[in-house]
Amino acid sequence: MPKQPVFIARHEELPLKNSSTSLFLQIMVGIAVFLFAVTLSGVLSINTMLENWNNSILGSLTVQIMPSTNINPDKAVAETLAHQNKALDILRNLDFVEKAEPLTDKQLEQLIQPWLGDGIEIQDLPVPRIIDVKLKTGADVDFMDLAYKLAQATPMASVDNHKLWLNKLIQFADGIKILALSILALVIMITSGAIFYTTQTSLGLHKYTIEILHLMGAKDTYVAQQYAKQSAILALQGGLIGLIIAIPTIFGIASLAHQIEGGIISEAKLSVLDWSAIIALPAFASVIAMLTAYYTVKQTLQKLM
Amino acid sequence: MLNETNKSSAIIEMHNVGIRYGQGPEILSDVKLSLRKGSFHFLTGRSGAGKTSLLSMMYLAQKPSRGSVSVFGQNVNFANRDSLAMLRRKIGVVFQDFRLIDHLSAFDNVALPLRVCGMDEHEVRKRVMELLQWVELDRSIQSTPATLSGGEKQRVAIARAVINRPELLLADEPTGNVDNDIAPKLMKLFVELNKLGTTVVIATHSEKLITDFAYPRLHLQNHGLKVFAPTNSSLLGVRHA
Repeated sequence: MPKQPVFIARHEELPLKNSSTSLFLQIMVGIAVFLFAVTLSGVLSINTMLENWNNSILGSLTVQIMPSTNINPDKAVAETLAHQNKALDILRNLDFVEKAEPLTDKQLEQLIQPWLGDGIEIQDLPVPRIIDVKLKTGADVDFMDLAYKLAQATPMASVDNHKLWLNKLIQFADGIKILALSILALVIMITSGAIFYTTQTSLGLHKYTIEILHLMGAKDTYVAQQYAKQSAILALQGGLIGLIIAIPTIFGIASLAHQIEGGIISEAKLSVLDWSAIIALPAFASVIAMLTAYYTVKQTLQKLM
Repeated sequence: MLNETNKSSAIIEMHNVGIRYGQGPEILSDVKLSLRKGSFHFLTGRSGAGKTSLLSMMYLAQKPSRGSVSVFGQNVNFANRDSLAMLRRKIGVVFQDFRLIDHLSAFDNVALPLRVCGMDEHEVRKRVMELLQWVELDRSIQSTPATLSGGEKQRVAIARAVINRPELLLADEPTGNVDNDIAPKLMKLFVELNKLGTTVVIATHSEKLITDFAYPRLHLQNHGLKVFAPTNSSLLGVRHA
């Protein structure tokens, strides 16, 4: 009697891994995951940026003291500072104010330096004075009442609680997020569509084998599971390649963004959780591929006897 | 009507069955048939008489254009896909063109019916190795069909058909390509399976096979079906088409 082999490798009945459609599927998923990762990193960065902005202005407000219109520069400065002191007196006596500090001449110079350049003497310019106000944690502020009290003390004071410009920024950021999410939805649809047609093509290519499997008593589920398993593996492989290319791209885009201007865009950073979501994309793509392939096979085979 | 026995033990029943392809004429017309459990029949008829069509209805690859077909008591006209799959698991088929999967080894081809049923791989290996040794292909277990001779392919096909001990065995020219010394051995396998309760239908052109093994004959003629007694070719029943 011949010697029985110790190991007999089991081969898949449907050789999907080496078929012509498998490379196409891997490339499609690789591109999809790349686009998905870059877009998702953008969306998550915007979220982080908005959160940072919100946290930084939450619990603070700015009181602006308009400069006096006195034609004597020295008197004008003195009058403006007097208005500032009146506003400070009001602010420092309010229960919900933790701290109210006027910006120094140097700080004001730094603020207008980008527009007017170096070597400015702030005393010589009719620029508003600014008081930075920190509110107590959880303070419930009636901004209308505060504005009224300040106006009573000095008509030159005005209150800015930053909500107006922040709302505009949020609207802008929301627009970008919707655009990004639309791209993500499009990427998912294109990927699913590609897997659908790849699977259908593959079913046509392997029609003979599938017929034999059916004649041996295989249920549609048996065929669908093989497609689902192998599509999941192929998508995972393609997705990992897409991710490997996407990560340096994300860092590259972030680096470019920082070089543009360190003020606003530098707030756009990805947290560990954000990175976890991006790294999980190949697995997500794999699940989509698996489900799409499974249901495509089931649906297509239903049309047969 | 060909009624081998009462309905309760019928494995296959056909009533007024007709088959046509597209808009063409009927290949089979008004076929009535009832095969009892444990019976053994040869299926004969000239080329184009409809043997393959009749067999394909029996192994549930095809539904009739008209009439009704019941297999294992279940009307296949109304059976869903999963039910048909479960019925097919009770049927072993030896195809004339073998229908082996080219990229799979002889071992994997024979293992197919067991694996689609979800059998434990250890048991699969045991059964397949035993059967491949029996059909003298144990030296070719890793060979793909492309490297096997016609006779070897046929033995793989036969091993695959009987590996799950089917209740119904259908064979289309099963000994057509095998050597003269192997053919009786394979027929003996079918006979042994029949003795164990398997219903067997063998389509063949071989008069020698029909005379050597004394089993009744289903004969396709003029689009209809007749049955002849085993030994003296006497007519048992006629369907008048």
